[in-house]
Amino acid sequence: MATSLEPIVVLSLIVGALAALVFAGVLAALIVFTIRFRDPRPGSVPQIHGHRGLEVAWTAAPLALLATIFALSLVTLGQIGQGATFGSLEPPVHVTVVGHQWWFEFRYPGGAVTANEAHIPAGVPIELDLGSADVIHDLWIPELGAKSDIVPGQRNVLRLFTARPGTFSGACAEFCGLEHAWMRVLIVAEPRADFERWLRSQAAPASGQAGRGLEVVRSAVCSSCHVVRGQLAGTSIGPDLTHVGSRATLAGGVLANTDEGMRAWIADPQRYKPGALMPRVPLSAADLDAVVAYLRSLR
Amino acid sequence: MTAAALVRRPGAFATAGVLRTVDHKDIGILYVLLGVAFLAIGGVEALLLRIQLASSGLRVLDPSTYDQLFTMHGITMIFLVAVPLLVGFANYVVPLQIGAPDVAFPRLNALSFWLTLFGGVLLYLSFVAGGAPDAGWFAYAPLTEPSHAVGSGMDWYVFGLAVSGAGTITGAINLAVTILLGRCPGMVMGRVPMFTWMVLITSFLILAAYPVLTSALVMLLVDRQLGGRFFDPAGGGNAVLWQHLFWSFGHPEVYIVVLPAFGMISEIVPVFSGKPLFGYRFVAGSGIAIGFLSFSVWAHHMFAVGLGDSENAFFSAASMLIAIPTGVKVFNWVATLWRGRIRLAMPMVFALGFIATFVIGGLTGVSLAVVPIDLYATDSYYVVGHLHYVLFGGTLMAVFAGLYYWFPKVTGRLLGHRLGLTHFWLTLAGLTLAFLPMHWLGLQGMPRRVWTYPPGLGWEWSNLVSTVGAFLIAAGAIVLALNVWRSVRGGEPAGDDPWDAYTLEWSTSSPPPAYNFESIPRVRGKRPLWDRAHPDRMDPE
Repeated sequence: MATSLEPIVVLSLIVGALAALVFAGVLAALIVFTIRFRDPRPGSVPQIHGHRGLEVAWTAAPLALLATIFALSLVTLGQIGQGATFGSLEPPVHVTVVGHQWWFEFRYPGGAVTANEAHIPAGVPIELDLGSADVIHDLWIPELGAKSDIVPGQRNVLRLFTARPGTFSGACAEFCGLEHAWMRVLIVAEPRADFERWLRSQAAPASGQAGRGLEVVRSAVCSSCHVVRGQLAGTSIGPDLTHVGSRATLAGGVLANTDEGMRAWIADPQRYKPGALMPRVPLSAADLDAVVAYLRSLR
Repeated sequence: MTAAALVRRPGAFATAGVLRTVDHKDIGILYVLLGVAFLAIGGVEALLLRIQLASSGLRVLDPSTYDQLFTMHGITMIFLVAVPLLVGFANYVVPLQIGAPDVAFPRLNALSFWLTLFGGVLLYLSFVAGGAPDAGWFAYAPLTEPSHAVGSGMDWYVFGLAVSGAGTITGAINLAVTILLGRCPGMVMGRVPMFTWMVLITSFLILAAYPVLTSALVMLLVDRQLGGRFFDPAGGGNAVLWQHLFWSFGHPEVYIVVLPAFGMISEIVPVFSGKPLFGYRFVAGSGIAIGFLSFSVWAHHMFAVGLGDSENAFFSAASMLIAIPTGVKVFNWVATLWRGRIRLAMPMVFALGFIATFVIGGLTGVSLAVVPIDLYATDSYYVVGHLHYVLFGGTLMAVFAGLYYWFPKVTGRLLGHRLGLTHFWLTLAGLTLAFLPMHWLGLQGMPRRVWTYPPGLGWEWSNLVSTVGAFLIAAGAIVLALNVWRSVRGGEPAGDDPWDAYTLEWSTSSPPPAYNFESIPRVRGKRPLWDRAHPDRMDPE
């Protein structure tokens, strides 16, 4: 199977075709009868009160149709639900996902922690263990099929699979407050060897350029929400920044992770993501440049 | 809008007794006016949302305003538009259809209306009291808990819905008792008009569903004001419990606002086909089946919550089952057309439009009952498209059909046909453009309840088309208002029975006198006026 979306597409095409047939039938009858029996003249026609056989027929036929659809849906559920292997012989890779207002945190075995961008090996079943730090969120990567709510106080598992490498865009699908719209995520699927290399580099402590930028980050309020493993001790309220320079986007997809994007974001987060929990930190232009250079060096 | 009609017609309004009227017809009109006023408000909210979403990255609304508006749009359209409009029609029409002089408890009826209005006012006071509720009409915990919703919006939500809900509950008691005990001689349950049948079933649904909502609201209030933790996982509560309580009310609510619409269509299609309703017993019986099944489908709103595969399978099967009695109704309406003498007057035009659009909403509903499809489509714009096909393409189209049908009875004047057709085509084109692309957007991956969306995903065009459609719907509503205004001022007189209709409301004057009938009628079949006009070809008893 190419992706975990595939069984859903197959089922949707079957259900969609059947629904289209039913709709076409009803619409055709509606139009044909209306044209055929339209007659504004006064007078009356034979009074037909009903037909028991027809009632039985149009109760039984939909029942049979729906029973078929239900049976097919159980088959599909078996292909994507608990215990699904997606035709792969590899044991599943586990990643812990924590939903936050308004960003996704990904924690890998071995210590790698990232935000809003997760890498996965292609050709291997992925099991995402979902938890929430605050309200209900939902992780949905449309190109990989099913979604799952992320419920505080509950552990849900989302099973995904893709045979081919690629970058897949997704988002939070459950309304979670002000910036639900900018809680987007990228899933990067790559060959196993590339994935392992990425995982090792993400697990390693930071090796950002020391200097003015690091000093500012250490002296400003950054550490009250962020951690740079090996260079900035802090708390994990906000995204782990150890390898922030390696990610494609910032702040849940609202800005591209370029020098300009990083500068714009730090200079005024509320302008780009009104309601985001990151405050505006007053920095001189020189300090801002230094911080941007430092963060961008965290590859 | 109909003020002139109100002043002209005899009775309570003419003597400014609107505040103390207990006449079911006056209260019915008040309910409909309430529904229309909130329809205008909820419609403007929808237009603002659509303007903000017309393209990616717009900043017409900030996220806080957007969240308040989409929340209030949903609450308004469900609780202050759909329910009052249908209860209003039921209030006006049901006693007339069953040959009764009024409802069983006229004073309670007035209380129901004023509670509903007061609840609506409470909800809207939130805007001036520091911010409207902004957690969606579904108000999922823990977003509504004091730790996350620090303003007072959610408290207004609790009080507004509890108060208007109390009005809905007392109204349902009144209608159920009226239908069960107030029928004229000869009108056994097997002869009750189908609209009245559906109102009866709806009343029982309200009696079973609304108290669940009220209980959940009280629990939320305890959490918010008394330090409770029912729905707060951080304090040992359960966020999913709210969803169970809300949807075990919320899904019957869908049938509460659609069964009376089915009833209207079941009145109109036979009259304008010159035939009796095909399969009366099956149409009534399927309504009862829908009523029972509607209480075992709620978790199809929760397939992605993680209830487990077997729970999901149960609710999937139950949700599919409910499509069967719904289909039975559609097939019987279509069969009623067969070999009829079809007159395309405006009520019939809207009724036919209803069948076509409602079937789309019903079929996409079946697709959402299929768990794997739902796991993809839920919480996406596909669901927004689906629910608007059901509630707009279904309920509101039927309400328009009912408005064109019963307006002559209420005012004594017909609504204009040409303006009616303009209204119809603007509405049909508008709803198709507004809601059909939403299905496509959802399948492309656009989540619901987002205040904006990123460029580069190809969502701009579909959203723009949807926005254009919303404005076409608004244009249609303006044409309807114009039509009503012109008819009230000098429309064609309707007489007692402009449609050659079948049921008792057409046997009295238009508008009916305060006591409804000169003498209490006596019936011997399902279509008393047909029997009277065709003594040689009366319905079988």
